[in-house]
Amino acid sequence: MKAATDGRPGDGADKASLSPPIPVPDADSEGYWAAARAGTLAICRCVECKTWMVPPLERCRYCNGRTAFEEVSGRGVIFSYIVVRHQAVPGHQVPYVVGIVELTEQAGLRLSGVIQADPAAVSIGAPVRATMVDVGTSGFRAPEFLLVP
Amino acid sequence: MTTAIVGIGRTEFSRRSGRTTKAMAVEACRAAVADAGLAVSDIDGMSTYQAGDSAHPMEVSWAMGLDEIAWCNSMVGGGNLVADQVATAAAVIEAGLARAVLIYRSLNGRSGYRFGTVDGPMQVEGQFQYEAPAGFIVPPQWFASWARRHQAVYGSTCEDLGQIAITQRRHALRNPHAIRRNDPLDMETYLASRWIAEPFRVHDCTSEVDGAVAIVIAGEDVAMGTRQPPVWLVGSSNTQSGAGWAGWDDPTEMYARLAGPRIWARTGLGPTDMDFVCMYDCFTYTVMASMEGFGFCEKGQVGRYFAEGRATYGGDVVVNPHGGLLSEGYIHGLNHHYEAALQLRGDADERQVDNAGLALVTAGGGPFGGANVFSNAKP
Repeated sequence: MKAATDGRPGDGADKASLSPPIPVPDADSEGYWAAARAGTLAICRCVECKTWMVPPLERCRYCNGRTAFEEVSGRGVIFSYIVVRHQAVPGHQVPYVVGIVELTEQAGLRLSGVIQADPAAVSIGAPVRATMVDVGTSGFRAPEFLLVP
Repeated sequence: MTTAIVGIGRTEFSRRSGRTTKAMAVEACRAAVADAGLAVSDIDGMSTYQAGDSAHPMEVSWAMGLDEIAWCNSMVGGGNLVADQVATAAAVIEAGLARAVLIYRSLNGRSGYRFGTVDGPMQVEGQFQYEAPAGFIVPPQWFASWARRHQAVYGSTCEDLGQIAITQRRHALRNPHAIRRNDPLDMETYLASRWIAEPFRVHDCTSEVDGAVAIVIAGEDVAMGTRQPPVWLVGSSNTQSGAGWAGWDDPTEMYARLAGPRIWARTGLGPTDMDFVCMYDCFTYTVMASMEGFGFCEKGQVGRYFAEGRATYGGDVVVNPHGGLLSEGYIHGLNHHYEAALQLRGDADERQVDNAGLALVTAGGGPFGGANVFSNAKP
C-alpha cells in the first residue's frame, strides 16, 4: 500500500526508493558517463582555447575547436542550493539537498548535484568536493558533493 | 500592418477535466471566434506551444470545422513562448500569410502531464541528462535554487515572496474563473504552508489546472469590423538563451534583464506608463525577478513594493488582477493575454482596473522569455 503524503498519486514514501531518473548518453556525453562509471569526474574542454564547458559539446562554442574530456579536481563552492522536502522526483529520500556547485577550474563552470549533508549545515560559498555514487542500480555513476570541513 | 487581439475564449479551469486537450482547445477557439463576431471560416492561421502534452493545430482546426488551414505552427516549449506566439502571429499577418490567427494553449496540467512532478522511473535524454541523477529536472527546484541566490545576494526573504502570493490571491478572490477564488491567503497561512523545495513553499508555486485559453490575432483590416473593441499590439520583445539552469551567469536576474529594456526601447514607453501588468508567475520568484528586470522596482525592493500596496488597486500598477498562474490557474501564461484583453476592453467586472489603457504582458522565467505591450487605442 502506498503511503501518500499529500493525497497525490505516486507521492508516497516508496517513491524515494525507486530509481532516480537515468541519463541516456549521446555522442556528446558518452565520454562524461564513461569516465563517471570509472569513478572519475571528467569535464569537456576545448583542446584549442582550453575553455571548460558544461554541458559537453562536440565543438567549442567559443572557438569551434575540438573538445575532449579531462579530469577535474571535483573541488568547488556552493553557488546556490535547495532543500527538497516534497518528493517530486523518485530516487532520494526527502529531505535532501541539491546544489549548484561552481568548480574551482573556471569561473562560472557549474554542475548540479546532490549535496550529502545535513540541510542545516549547507550554505552558499561553502567549499565542497565531488564523490562518485551509483545511480540506483542502473550501472551509471554520477557526482554528488560532500562539504569540506 | 497593425495587429490586435480581436477575440478571446476559454474553458472552465478545473482539477480534472475528463476531456481531451483537443476538445478543450476546440471549445476555447470557438469561443474566441464567436467573441470576435467572426465565423470559423474566417480563421486561416493557428498556433500553439506545448511540451508534447497537447493536440496539434492541424487536429484542432480540423475538429472545429476547417478542412485546411493556410498557416499553422506548434512550438515546443513553455511560458517563455507565449509573447513570441503573439509576435509571430503578428509577423505572419504582416507577411500576408494569414489574416486571422488563433493562438491556443490547452492542457490537462493537473490530471494529466504535470510539469512539477515525475512519478516513476524514467530515462532522460538531451540537455537534462546531467541533472537526472539528482532529480534536478523539475521547474520548482530550478526556480527555488535561483531564488536562494537572490536571497543571498540582495537579502530578499521568504516573506517578500509571500507578499506576492498574498497580493495575487487577494485579486483572485474577485475572479469567478480562478481555481483559488475561495481560498484567502494571509502571511501566517503562507508561512505555515508546506515546503516544496526550500526556499519555496506550496504557495510559491503555480496552481496546476486543466483547461484551455484561446485568442484571435488579426490585422487592422479584420479588426476594424469585429464585434469587440480591438486590443492593439504596441510592441514585442523576446530573448531566448540555452544557458541552462546551472549555467546561467546570474540567477538573481532572468530573461527580463534583456526583454525589459528591449520592449521599452521598441515601444517608447516605460513601466510608469502601464496601468496594469500581467506578469508571468510560474513561481513567486519569477514575479520578483521580472518586476526588477522590467524596471518596476530596484533590486531587492519587490517585497516592500508589494507589502506597501504599490502592486494592487490604488497603487502604482496592478500586478496580475486575475490572480495570475499562482491563483487563477496554470494555463501556461496564455490566460495573462486573456486577462489583458478583458481589462483593456473594460470588461473585467468587479476586478476592473480603473482607466486601463496600457498593459504589459510578460511570458517566461529563467533564461528565456518575452513580453508584449497592448493598448486600447490604435498605435
